[in-house]
Amino acid sequence: MIKIAASLVERIERQAEAEYPRECCGLLIGSIETDGRARVVVEIRAVANAWEESATMHRRMLITPQDYMRAEREFSRQGQGVVGNYHSHPDHPAVPSQFDLEHLAPWPTMSYIVVSVHEGRATALRSWELAADRSRFVEEEISKGS
Amino acid sequence: MPVTIIIPTALRQYAGGASELEVEAKTAGEALERLVSTHTELRKHLFNEQNRLRNFVNVYLNDEDIRHTGGPDTALKDGDTLMLVPSIAGGATTEEELATLPALSNEEIARYSRHLIMPEVGMEGQRRLKAASVLMIGTGGLGAPTGMYLAAAGVGRLGILDFDVVDESNLQRQIIHGTKDVGRPKIASARDRLSDINPHIQLDTYETRLTSENALALFRDYDIIVDGTDNFPTRYLVNDACVLAGKPNVYGSIFRFEGQASVFWAERGACYRCLYPEPPPPGLVPSCAEGGVLGVLPGIVGAIQANETIKLILGAEGALINRLLLFDAWQMRFRELKLRKDPSCPVCGERPTITELIDYEAFCGLKPQPIESEPRQEQAMEEMTAPELKQRLDRGDDLQIIDVREPNEYDIAHLQDSKLIPLGQVLNRMSEIDESRETVVHCKMGGRSAKAIEALQRAGYSGRLINLKGGINAWSNEVDPSVPKY
Repeated sequence: MIKIAASLVERIERQAEAEYPRECCGLLIGSIETDGRARVVVEIRAVANAWEESATMHRRMLITPQDYMRAEREFSRQGQGVVGNYHSHPDHPAVPSQFDLEHLAPWPTMSYIVVSVHEGRATALRSWELAADRSRFVEEEISKGS
Repeated sequence: MPVTIIIPTALRQYAGGASELEVEAKTAGEALERLVSTHTELRKHLFNEQNRLRNFVNVYLNDEDIRHTGGPDTALKDGDTLMLVPSIAGGATTEEELATLPALSNEEIARYSRHLIMPEVGMEGQRRLKAASVLMIGTGGLGAPTGMYLAAAGVGRLGILDFDVVDESNLQRQIIHGTKDVGRPKIASARDRLSDINPHIQLDTYETRLTSENALALFRDYDIIVDGTDNFPTRYLVNDACVLAGKPNVYGSIFRFEGQASVFWAERGACYRCLYPEPPPPGLVPSCAEGGVLGVLPGIVGAIQANETIKLILGAEGALINRLLLFDAWQMRFRELKLRKDPSCPVCGERPTITELIDYEAFCGLKPQPIESEPRQEQAMEEMTAPELKQRLDRGDDLQIIDVREPNEYDIAHLQDSKLIPLGQVLNRMSEIDESRETVVHCKMGGRSAKAIEALQRAGYSGRLINLKGGINAWSNEVDPSVPKY
């Protein structure tokens, strides 16, 4: 399960629309509870898509380790850290792809939000977690606080 | 010594909730091993089944990726901080990018069916091959099989660069060219063969030498560069231009029965200079023209280069990055060496000193010294052309001819009344050369005979020694075409 304020969800959607037709991405900041089964998101960090710059053939970094490390450091004093990430699928469903499974998903404790953008409008936002055996993504419930 | 490991938020539940842990270790690898042996649940999240760090796990030692500081062997000091950070990659099969890949026609689907039925390639991989562009430097022994397999595999755009003309002596191994092609530019003959193999691909031909002036502009236009060159200056040029342009360099080299292959890609690992910072002294390593090469050897090494190129395009794991493959065709044995990126590498290291392409002939010591440099102690070597030798012999001059090639070369062809003393035996058999007679020394092309003369003069030989310019090949070209060239 992921707990995230409606205002944060809205910010993710606005970012995805602004970046359309490019893919946008970012990190979810917060804490992990209930033995790794629940993420409480208190902030998001948009990350510059490193996509174009490091385009060497087909494998492209979305979020660099430097961005990840910076976010972890910035929030560590408040006892928070990176608990997941989000990215957009322009003109495609809010479902992670096979490649996302192999490369986008480091660990099963994290949330993976995918937002679908059609013709510049965010139409669906869904959140996923990685099965414990890393074999697939399982959709998780989004609990929107205020 | 005690070092601190910072645990990312996402992994803390596997580390008893701790945000950082202290361990005693001498190297980064040891620290990680300590960590996962105390907190066993962490192991599978950091290491794969082969007990190697998962691809997306980065380890930073005081803000520096340990990949740049020696990997797991990186030494630790008291109070160092290690941080575990994932990189989050994506994109290969995001639908957005898939949509940009070219479609396959029904003809292409029929042609590539053996690829398409394997999930590792599939429609997506075949479309990636079609979208890819590869520049091959050279269409000789290595370039021949590489080009033919890449064309057959459906690499959408193949660049071929060569300045040479097909020679009879190429046909023993350069199977892209045929007997009817002798005398034609290699790129013309290669183009015919490749377009016959696969008319669906685009071929760009460059009839030119690769130079420091044109390399970067050429490389920028391709995804991958395949090095099929046979000499050190071009090999360093290809490497440096690949590093500067950010392209992977699929490397192969061959000599006699031995071959090497690797993928040098500075963004992911070692480059050629990390392995060989300096070229060997000129003349120390003979070329294939001097030392020979088993014809099938470039076939094997070139096929390995094609294989690795295709894997890079497909994004396959297990590329020859940071690995040097050594092959011995005579023993039929493969060996592998681990390579490391050298942080002090002059071109891909942390503080590179080579930031643009240089003069590679000079770098490899192949340029004559400038005239204003100190006058050389030794006198200049005396030389004679093949027609001059012929004239002197016809005149009946008393000349002693010493052939410094190997006996098997002597069997192919030799000059009349010449005496065979292979280069390696020249000093031991100095007494067999009559100092009182004027002496012409020759080999195949003039290189080894020059070395023999230098060695003899240094060893105190006092008679007159004259080098035959261009060796027995020049004799065949300019004096007697009935003497076979090899």
